[in-house]
Parts: sequence; C-alpha cells; structure tokens
Amino acid sequence: MIMNFFKFFLLLAVPLLLEANTLSGEALAKRLHLSAGTKAVIQWERVFKSERKKRKYKIETLSPSEQDILKEYLISHAIDSDKPTVAGE
Amino acid sequence: MGNKIILSSLMLFSLLHAQEVTADKPTIEDLIKEIQKLKESIKELKAAQKENSSYIEEVDEHVEKTETRLLQDKLKFGLDFKTNLDNFSKKYASGRVVKNNNIWSNKLMLNAKADITGSMKFYARLSMYKYWGSSYVHPYSSYDNMQGRVPADSSIYVERAYLDWFFNKDGILPFAVTIGRQPSGDGPSFQFKDNTMRKATYSALLYDGAADGIVTTFNLSKVLKYKKTYLRFGYAKGFGYAETANDVGNAYIGASNNDLKDTNVYGIFLDTRVPYLHNSLVQVSYSKMKDIIANPLDGSAMTNKNLGDMDIYGAMVEITNLKNMNLDLFAHYGYIKTDPNSNTYLRYGGLLNSPGSSASKSGDAIWLGARYGFGEKAKYKVGLEYNHGSKNWVSLTQGSFDVYNKLATRGDAYEAYVMYVANRYVNIRLGYIKIDYDYTRSGWFVGEPLPLNILSPSADYDLKSLESAYLKMNVNF
Repeated sequence: MIMNFFKFFLLLAVPLLLEANTLSGEALAKRLHLSAGTKAVIQWERVFKSERKKRKYKIETLSPSEQDILKEYLISHAIDSDKPTVAGE
Repeated sequence: MGNKIILSSLMLFSLLHAQEVTADKPTIEDLIKEIQKLKESIKELKAAQKENSSYIEEVDEHVEKTETRLLQDKLKFGLDFKTNLDNFSKKYASGRVVKNNNIWSNKLMLNAKADITGSMKFYARLSMYKYWGSSYVHPYSSYDNMQGRVPADSSIYVERAYLDWFFNKDGILPFAVTIGRQPSGDGPSFQFKDNTMRKATYSALLYDGAADGIVTTFNLSKVLKYKKTYLRFGYAKGFGYAETANDVGNAYIGASNNDLKDTNVYGIFLDTRVPYLHNSLVQVSYSKMKDIIANPLDGSAMTNKNLGDMDIYGAMVEITNLKNMNLDLFAHYGYIKTDPNSNTYLRYGGLLNSPGSSASKSGDAIWLGARYGFGEKAKYKVGLEYNHGSKNWVSLTQGSFDVYNKLATRGDAYEAYVMYVANRYVNIRLGYIKIDYDYTRSGWFVGEPLPLNILSPSADYDLKSLESAYLKMNVNF
C-alpha cells in the first residue's frame, strides 16, 4: 500500500513542474478588480465585444492572449454559469 | 440647482459682454428682453425637470416590480439532460457471447437551488433515468443509493436534497453544515467526460451514488493562508435496514432491530490544491463503514446479516486546463481493508469471504485519465481513461450513472472517446469502452472474488469481458 501511495504522489510532480508561473484568469480578474459573479454569461460576452466597455474595465491593457484567458475565466464563473457542486462551499 | 446654473450663466454672460454693452450702449429695453428670454428658458428647464422626475418615478416603479417578481422566484432551476446509445457485447466465463445493440436511454436531471438567506442555501436534484421503451425497474434500481442513478422507470427520484448552512463567514475559520441527501454522485473526475464543472464532493473511484447524511466543512483557507483548502467530517447512512415483518404502523419507525444494524459511514476528507496549480484538486480521505448489511433489499432478519466493517482510504489529484494547454489530467487511488465478522449471507459467504471464512481482506484500485481539447476554442476533445482494481477491490460506486460501474472492476477497464462541444451547453461524445474482468462479482461486498473459471457453476453469468461502443449527448443548461 505504501509503495502504491508513493507512486501515486510521484505523479503530482510532473504537472507541478509544468505549471509554475502561469498567470490564471482569476489573477487577471483580481488585478483589474473584476468580479465574475457580478454579471451573467451574456453580459460578459457583451463586454468583450465592446471596445468602449473594454476600456471602461481596463481590459484593453491586457495582451490578446491574456484577454482570452480572462474572458474564459469570467464567463465560466459568471453568475448564471455552470458551478461546481460541492458540499459546504 | 438649475436656477443657480442659469443665474451664474447670466452673470458670466453679463461680464463677457460688458465691454460690448458699453461700446454698443444697449438700452434698458434690450436688457429687459434678455432677462425675459432667460426667464422663459428657466420655465422650460423646470418643465423638463418635472417630466424627468415623473419618468424616474415610473422607472423606479418598474424596477421594484421586477425585483418583487425575482424575489418571488424562490427556487431557480437548471437542466441536465442526457441521451445515450450503447452497443454492448458481453463475454461470459463459459465462452457464451451476448450482444445487446441499439440500447437507448435518457436521463433527466432538474437541478434546483434556493438562496434562503445569506448564510443558508438549498439544493435539490430530481432525476429520471430510463431505457427507451421500457419501464422495467430492476430490483437493484431500488437500492437507496441507486435511485435515480441507474435506469428504472419514468418516475422522478430525489437524487439530491440538502441544505448548506454557513457559519462564521467573516471569521478566521468559516464552516458549513450540509444536511440531507448529499451531492455524492458524479464526483471528480467524471466532469471531464461530461464537459461540466465538478459535480460532487468525493472521488468517484470511492463513492458514486445517492447518500443521506450530514457533513461539516471547515474552510481552512484563511487559517492556513492557502486557497481552496477544506476539511470535512461526514456521517452517512450507507444502508438503512427495514425489516418486512415490522412494516406496520409505528413499528416501521423503529424497523431496525437488535439482530441487524444499519450500515453507518463515517469519513474525513481533506480538499486542497497543488501549489501553482490554480485549477487543481487534491483530495485525501479516510472512511469507515460500520456494520455492512449483506443485502439492503432483503427484509428478513432470518437471512439478512451484518457482515462486518471496512476501512476505505483514498487519494486523488486532478488538474484542469494545465498551463492553458487545454489538457486535463487526473489520477485516483483507493485502498480498502475489511474487518469481517463470522456471519454468512445465504450461500454467497461473508464480507469478501467464502462461507465459513472470516479473514481480513484488502484491495486497491487506480484510475487514470487525460483529456485534450483541440480546434477552434477547443471544440473537439479527445479523452483516455484507464482503471485497474485488484481481486478484493470494492467501494461505494454501485449508484454510478455509468451502467458498467467500471470503477468497481476487478480487472482492467479502458475507455477512449472523442467529443464535439456544440456550444456552451451541449456536447456529443462518441466512445468505446472495454472491460476485462479477472475475478467474479465486481462491485459486490458479499462473497469471495474468485478467478474466472470455465468450470465454475456460475460460469454462464460471470462476466469475462464487456465492450461497448457508445454515443452520448449531454445538455447542461
């Protein structure tokens, strides 16, 4: 059993090395003071389609790839998005 | 406010034009005319202001009406709908092959949620799961943890109904108590295959099915200054026993008797994430099943027995969208150890034992998987899964939505699929699964798992292998 646990936790090391220093959508949202739960999916989509709104929320200060990551995060955490279902969280 | 602006404008106007006035020497009449004009402007502005005020009042009334309507909607509903086409090919230990092609089924899940107060939330899931053109209820479908989870008739079952009650939300150690029919089916890492978010609390290798209980969750994120870290203590009634002979009047309330105890499950679970992996989940757990009932559907205390206890250990890790590469990975490990008594159920035997034996047994299992998204916005996904269970592997996955209950396999199971994500809410999956069984009675607590043998009396119904090519559509809205 101990050996199996040991092998199992060795698996953890691989993604750990790969993932370090990657900026997440959550961190980008925090940096711009945006809270995903304040808007519905369709409203966040509207924000990213409008240059005026992107300026308003300072999203335009991010690179295109960062904008994509942020958009994915905000939409997937929007107030009406599919949410994790877990006891007591 | 409006008057002040106009008077200021008038003064400014007078100053700016003072020289001109002096130069052109306007008459008193000219000035009176100007004042008259300004008075008219003020009157117009006042009228406009009055109109605006009544408009704001009207809008305010509409907003309040909308708010009232929203507040009346105490329950918010969501929809999960699955359509499955399976083509089974089963091979038994005797060599007999049975094919069941063109098997269609639907599962409907109505998810309800209510924000009762800022610190109290209620969730429910009402489910129907049936094969097309059939309302046959297999006896196993009546098991409490399988209701609404495995195909039966078109009845709606309550798969989940629980209250989350949060305490000390702003304190250093917030905690929540979850009471009722728990979110314990379709857990991690089934969400990758369904292309949804995490759908339950516990590793699906160890627990998959409905369960009634009470769970206390301590949010350690603030204390440890480490996000998404939770410690849970759970209690659930694994199998409640009701003796048929006592099934009258008030006796039903106390149906359990001294001969047979309910199966109780106690567990401790730690959830956290791997450093630097924002979208990861690590779960380590220990549970104890006390007084495992041989057959929850056998209402006779003469035949039904408690077979003993079992310890269940688990560890898992999953990573979603690793380094934004559209790559998801997961690995689960489970280990069990039994503490049987000397009871035997009918001719089947004791807890993972042959009749007459009460030896302690242990078993383990591993479940590995990966999913990769490609194409524009990762609309296409390909996934691979593998699991292996040892001779004595058994856990609480009898209520798995997956009709093969592949995670209970005492042997090897392989699955590969491709998925097309039609939009945010709908995906279609084409897949193939192959299960090679090494021992009998996968998923059963009762009786000793035996190597598959062509000469065994049960060889004609002991599965040696199972294959299915399937097509599934998931709607999650």
